[in-house]
Amino acid sequence: MDYKLQVRVQSHLEQMGSLDDRSMGDLDDECLYSAEMDAQKTQSTDSNEQVSLSSSLPVAGNKMIRNGVYKSIKTVVFSNKLNLLMPFGPLAILVHKMTAHNGWVFFLSLLGITPLAERLGYATEQLAFYTGPTVGGLLNATFGNATELIISIYALKSGMIRVVQLSLLGSILSNMLLVLGCAFFCGGLVYPGKEQAFSKATAVVNSGLLLMAVMGLLFPAVLYYTHTERHAGKSELALSRFSSCIMLLAYAAYLVFQLKSQKDLYVPIGEEGSQNEQNANDDDDEAPEISKWESIIWLAIMTAWISILSDYLVDAMQGASEAWGVPISFISVILLPIIGNAAEHASAIMFAMKNKLDISLGVAIGSSTQISMFGIPFCVVIGWMMGQEMDLNFQLFETATLFITVIVVAFFLQEGTSNYFKGLMLILCYLIVAASFFVHEDTSSSGESKQPKT
Amino acid sequence: MDDQKSNHHNNKSIDLDDSPPFVRIHSHAEIGSSEERAVLELEDERLNSCDSITRKKHPFKETSSSDICHMKCKNSLWNSIKIVIFSSKLNILMVFGPAAIIVHKTTGYHGMVFLLSLLGIIPLAERLGYATEQLASFTGPTVGGLLNATFGNATELIISIFALRNGMIRVVQQSLLGSILSNMLLVLGCAFFSGGLVIMKREQVFNKAAAGVNSGLLLMSVMGLLFPAVLHSTRTELHFGKSELALSRFSSCVMLFAYAAFLYFQLRSSKKLYDMESKTETSDDDEAPEISMWEAIVWLSILTTWIAVLSEYLVDAIEGASTALKIPVAFISVVLLPIVGNAAEHAGAIMFAMKDKLDISLGVAIGSSTQIAMFGIPFCVIIAWIMGQPMDLNFQLFETATLFLTVIVVAFMLQEGTSNYFKGLMLILCYLIVAASFFVHVDLDSVDYLSYNPSACGNKNHIHDLKMNITESVGKTKT
Repeated sequence: MDYKLQVRVQSHLEQMGSLDDRSMGDLDDECLYSAEMDAQKTQSTDSNEQVSLSSSLPVAGNKMIRNGVYKSIKTVVFSNKLNLLMPFGPLAILVHKMTAHNGWVFFLSLLGITPLAERLGYATEQLAFYTGPTVGGLLNATFGNATELIISIYALKSGMIRVVQLSLLGSILSNMLLVLGCAFFCGGLVYPGKEQAFSKATAVVNSGLLLMAVMGLLFPAVLYYTHTERHAGKSELALSRFSSCIMLLAYAAYLVFQLKSQKDLYVPIGEEGSQNEQNANDDDDEAPEISKWESIIWLAIMTAWISILSDYLVDAMQGASEAWGVPISFISVILLPIIGNAAEHASAIMFAMKNKLDISLGVAIGSSTQISMFGIPFCVVIGWMMGQEMDLNFQLFETATLFITVIVVAFFLQEGTSNYFKGLMLILCYLIVAASFFVHEDTSSSGESKQPKT
Repeated sequence: MDDQKSNHHNNKSIDLDDSPPFVRIHSHAEIGSSEERAVLELEDERLNSCDSITRKKHPFKETSSSDICHMKCKNSLWNSIKIVIFSSKLNILMVFGPAAIIVHKTTGYHGMVFLLSLLGIIPLAERLGYATEQLASFTGPTVGGLLNATFGNATELIISIFALRNGMIRVVQQSLLGSILSNMLLVLGCAFFSGGLVIMKREQVFNKAAAGVNSGLLLMSVMGLLFPAVLHSTRTELHFGKSELALSRFSSCVMLFAYAAFLYFQLRSSKKLYDMESKTETSDDDEAPEISMWEAIVWLSILTTWIAVLSEYLVDAIEGASTALKIPVAFISVVLLPIVGNAAEHAGAIMFAMKDKLDISLGVAIGSSTQIAMFGIPFCVIIAWIMGQPMDLNFQLFETATLFLTVIVVAFMLQEGTSNYFKGLMLILCYLIVAASFFVHVDLDSVDYLSYNPSACGNKNHIHDLKMNITESVGKTKT
């Protein structure tokens, strides 16, 4: 998300003057949304202006508001084909109330969350247009993985600490191996002649951050495994909380660093040639499609919806694992992240096939960095505040998995080029990881019981 | 030689993607004089056929067509034997093979049988590479490349299959591991070291991209080996004993698939390279094959059979030799077997490094490691599956950790793209450390335990109980 935002922000800054003129030009670009959008965009901005100016005409104003609401819903909800999955959300709630068949509830709520996650990302981006680059970057950095964070917070509230650890870990693994591998693979197949290049500097910085996160996770795990902590049980917790604060500080510094140097770092993308290139870069709409308040409202609505569905999801996880005969660790590490990340996955592949590998890399590796340096420590701190004992000790098997994965990916990235074979290798590595989690029994979670919610 | 060097430098200036520069190029012009050159070449003192070394590095090179040569190369039986057997000085060691069998039949002294069969296998392994090379020049680039990719480490695979048949799974794991370690550290280190000593003024360069791809594959294979080992050592598998086996077999299939994709990828980029280059420069290595196709096939099968026979004696004698020579079986499998088995490749790599053809040395060393890691080990797991032996990828934590560290160290050293004698020295010293640690390493899973606990001789259940006792007591102290 960071890369995408910065591309836009760059051109946003340069083309703010000619926004309205260009909006018509942009409409012809290929975009993810239906062509109906073209007329609606100008209409919605018109109707919004009319809404703000029509305080003296209440009757006409109400009609306009209703039109505005309808158009807004049309823009946000009906424009994307992925939103066909939306009905699964309420369906999951119905099934839960009626049959309480956990397997189905889990599956349906998972499917229901997918489009909501995508729309949440969309609303965040729209809001970012209005808030300028700084806050916009922060927004993306925080809400980029809001879905995973919301699910994790609900799981924390239920005391399912292991699920939180495993699902965050699985998110990192799937982003680094599966999403990146698919992007490299598809990009390499579409461009078989030469190798695609990406910005080595950013990839290396992200790899460094990931390694630092692994270090933060490794020490509590090794401390526990070698039984050399000073106060059994309390030491790792204290160490984990301290390390989390440090990691959050590092992430904040990373954001400052990125925002400060974004002009230098991202000039290569802008200088790809002519203005046409820049216009083509923004084949997603440059101008916002919904107004600022609309995006805030939609953000709130989406977040609320995701929270509700996450609640049912987390409740149903244990039952689903028993119903399907699949270990909970497999569900948390493999299934949850793959489906939760489906939208990002698709967009990364799409960008790679358009030869914009930097953006794909930003989606994949940036997301991993975000989760490992922000998501995990954030959950530890939230757990601290809730009184839950979440620590950074992910148990040796999971930590070793993360360690070897980060090393493999860091190694692949350091060259700065990609081809379909590298993508294939990453995907195959993910298969091996998934297979090992399929036969992995999590001994530490057998003693965990779900605490009743207050 | 000058053509060689200029060719080498020319290759460097071309912006190639993944393929290393080729040393031997398609040349029709040389065919006419091939027979004269063949006679001249016989006189050269060379430990190996340079062809076999080059082949291993890029298996998919084209060589000249053999139509004209076919008539000239049809040798009589005596000539054929002369070319294959008497041309290389290494073949003096061949007599040790029958000597080993004789010793086994007469005295049954395991230590001597082991040593003699080991010495006897060395020349056979080298000749096998030569015969493969010759056959590959008849079959065209694709099949030739596949031949080299498979038979490159045929000796190790044959020894491993015999060990598997005897149920000596640990020996298989350790000998394959030792092959990888010795190739990555010892052979590469010696090549860098001697090359650096000979070429003192500047650092030697090699193709970073190819080294990077190989390092990536090695890391992937370490990943495949790491998960079963960690699963076992943290005792978190779902079904004790069965999970790692299933995981290992699945991972082996994935790794074999990745290796096939790697071969395909190499083939495509080498074909692309050949379209780009249309030079007719020649090389001083023998371009034309020396023996006909049927001769090559016949010799291939004869040598393979011989190696199989000797391997059987070798494998049978390992345990006895370990007791007689007072060396742990782990040390024999990990250090001795591969050093001796790889002797020919070792010498070839050093020789090429001293001739400033570091890419070929790298191809021999790292290419061989990649082959064993991504093809040899999974292949053995599959063969064991077919045989019904429970071989898995769980090489035990110590061995897996060793492999992991080694791969990281070597990948790090290779990423720069240059070499000097100091890097070589570091690699050799790393190998010394690894060898020393295996010298004092007792393998709980293997028959070492038998030799150190004579009361437990011949009772596998007892071994299992002892192991369980130990792990339980360790577990108790932990909780």
